Amino acid sequence: MAEVFGRLSSKAIALGLGTLFLVAACGGGNNGTSGSSASSTDVTVWTAWGGAELKAFKDVLAPFQSKTGIKVHITTNRDSTNQIANGIAAGTDLPDIAPGPTDPTQVKSWVSKGALKSIETALGSSFNDYISNTYAALTTAPGGATDDPYIGIIGGKHYELMVKTQVKGLIWYNKKVFTGQAPATFDDLLAINPSQYNAKSLFCAGFESGAASGWPASDQIDNIIMRQSGDQVYTSWVQGKTKFTDPAIKLGYQTFLKEVSDQAVYGGRNTALSTNFGKAGDPLFKQPAGCLFLEQATFITSFFQQDFPSLNLKAGTDFDFFAHPSVNSQFDGNVNGFYDNFSMYNDTPAARQLMQYMATKDAQQIWANDGGTLGAIKSLTYNDPVFKRAADVASGAKNLLVTAGDFMPADMQKAFWQSLLNVTRNPGSLNSELSHLDQVQAAAYTTS
Amino acid sequence: MDQIITAVVAVVGVPLVIFGYIIGGEQVIERLPGRLQGWARPYFWALPAVGFATIFMVYPMVRTAVISFRNSEDTDWVGFANYHYFFTFPDTLTALRNSVAWLIFYTFFAVFLGLVIAILVDRVRYESLAKIAIFLPVPISAVAASIIWKFMFDYQAPGTPQTGTLNAVLGIFHGDPVPWLLDEPVVNNGALIFVGIWTAVGFCMVIISASLKAISTEVLEAARIDGANEFQIVRLVITPLLWPTITVVGTTMLINALKTFDIVYVMTNGAYETDVIATRMFSQLQSAHYGRAAAVGVVLFIAIVPLLIVNIRRFQQQEEQR
Repeated sequence: MAEVFGRLSSKAIALGLGTLFLVAACGGGNNGTSGSSASSTDVTVWTAWGGAELKAFKDVLAPFQSKTGIKVHITTNRDSTNQIANGIAAGTDLPDIAPGPTDPTQVKSWVSKGALKSIETALGSSFNDYISNTYAALTTAPGGATDDPYIGIIGGKHYELMVKTQVKGLIWYNKKVFTGQAPATFDDLLAINPSQYNAKSLFCAGFESGAASGWPASDQIDNIIMRQSGDQVYTSWVQGKTKFTDPAIKLGYQTFLKEVSDQAVYGGRNTALSTNFGKAGDPLFKQPAGCLFLEQATFITSFFQQDFPSLNLKAGTDFDFFAHPSVNSQFDGNVNGFYDNFSMYNDTPAARQLMQYMATKDAQQIWANDGGTLGAIKSLTYNDPVFKRAADVASGAKNLLVTAGDFMPADMQKAFWQSLLNVTRNPGSLNSELSHLDQVQAAAYTTS
Repeated sequence: MDQIITAVVAVVGVPLVIFGYIIGGEQVIERLPGRLQGWARPYFWALPAVGFATIFMVYPMVRTAVISFRNSEDTDWVGFANYHYFFTFPDTLTALRNSVAWLIFYTFFAVFLGLVIAILVDRVRYESLAKIAIFLPVPISAVAASIIWKFMFDYQAPGTPQTGTLNAVLGIFHGDPVPWLLDEPVVNNGALIFVGIWTAVGFCMVIISASLKAISTEVLEAARIDGANEFQIVRLVITPLLWPTITVVGTTMLINALKTFDIVYVMTNGAYETDVIATRMFSQLQSAHYGRAAAVGVVLFIAIVPLLIVNIRRFQQQEEQR
């Protein structure tokens, strides 16, 4: 034996240690995604939220945890869809509760694989209350269809519990600069002369957003297309059934280009392309004002306040918004919005209880009180005047249409976002960009 | 709780299994006849390492190659469809063009500047200080370097104060700001490659400098006595002697150039025609086109293999020379 140990060279020890680390690393990796043992006392939740949003979520969870004694383990995971996809493919543990996938094919495939548990199952007897309390646009497929993967409905069943929502396409302005009436139509908006209000240009824009650059531009064109050509064209385009070279989509691009011409946009096109979306609104509050309007969702107010702490900007008194003006009056009820949802991946008693709790008005009111978002329930009260009015926009919506790029296959989304950057930079390339997008579309929506 | 159990099993159990394998195996081998013992022992000792390499490296490689011939759901064979997509789709062609540009310019300038700097700093008294300065960007992660350079390349509306360092300098000479990351395809790809070079020069310099120190001063003195001037010494004596090192550094840089992902992803994510092969692979993965992504991976792998072979041969030659 002694001879054997004598022969244990440093390599063997290194091998042993290496194995040790490997197994420890693998074990550690598994543990990160596990914690699902049909527990009635613990529930694991993944969310993309950080900062104030995460704090609000913890506030929402606090009464639940103290009342039920269930421990909620939150992990902020901004890559949850990819990791859950890998987990499903590899058969490893999934979080109990996490956002559902946005890609419609993924929604269908996860449902067929049984990875997503229905909200009907999760909520049980309180399901009907959830449906009647929540904004209809978030829970009902248009025209009574049984499938609407964009809001997590497959085969007539719901797979995404809506908890928060936001409306997009709001036109923000500095109340001390723009003192006129909100324009009724999009043409009225374009006809406003900025120098009348002593501003340099009509619009501000900022399309830079790191690897996701272009999404702010996509919000703008989404809001145009859905109001210009209607929800059916819009949805069929998101689904890849309407080509980019279709006259309706091309018209949308052309209308978008009016917002970002060198004359219309602050600093010219290159400035719009180089400016980060969070800083895009800064010229609104400069002296003299760089621009009159910025189109953005409700979340932008925190950027205004953060960038000008000395001005102590107040929503409703210093800045305000009006809803996106009408493009074609026939389609005025179409509103662009997004939502935060949770899906149940492990049907455990604790997970069910948490899902049921998050669907209650009490839980969502905490979200509303913490500010920065609308709840998914219609009857919440808001202290912030901006969200009070945004809730009006949401309840006035006939169709709450999701943001196009978020529901396209990832390579389509990337090409779509980047096409908006390219046409902004070089409007003459519109036709070649659109036919290129057709090519990407043909390749992206297939499964081969 | 099960996390603790896993940890205990990993920390105590795995070494026990390994020691058990070694001790038990040795006892078996010791009882074998002498010649068989000598034959079996190396295989026995190598088996765990080979096993791990097979599981964690060979298997994924083979599987990637298989997936590249299958559809994205991995349910059916699609022949060369994924490769056809790769070599015909305009986006991947742009990515290929850019990757070739990375291969040429990134590799050339990183190695060339590394060589020049190594030779120059070798001749000054503040060598280590200069080396530290050049080497500083190397330990910075590519993502951090990209963010730093994003600030450097920043563009503000003309006529307003420029926060980007480069445009601020241009402003001193009353030049208009340049949208460095937008001007396609030369300026923006050049800017990205430049960031890559910035992070790599230090590495090349250090390696080349180390091998420069190994050149004996007698050789150089002999050349001087023979009447060679300093340029001739660099060209005719130092460079040829450094050639094996330059090849190794060069092939490493070529591989880096092919793998380039983080700089492009962080700074432009391929917008304005700056995509490279690896960012294409990533976007195919993201959209669950696993077959296409695997095809990109295989192409990348095939492109890198010859470089690896050259590199390993060089290493072996150097080992033999010692």
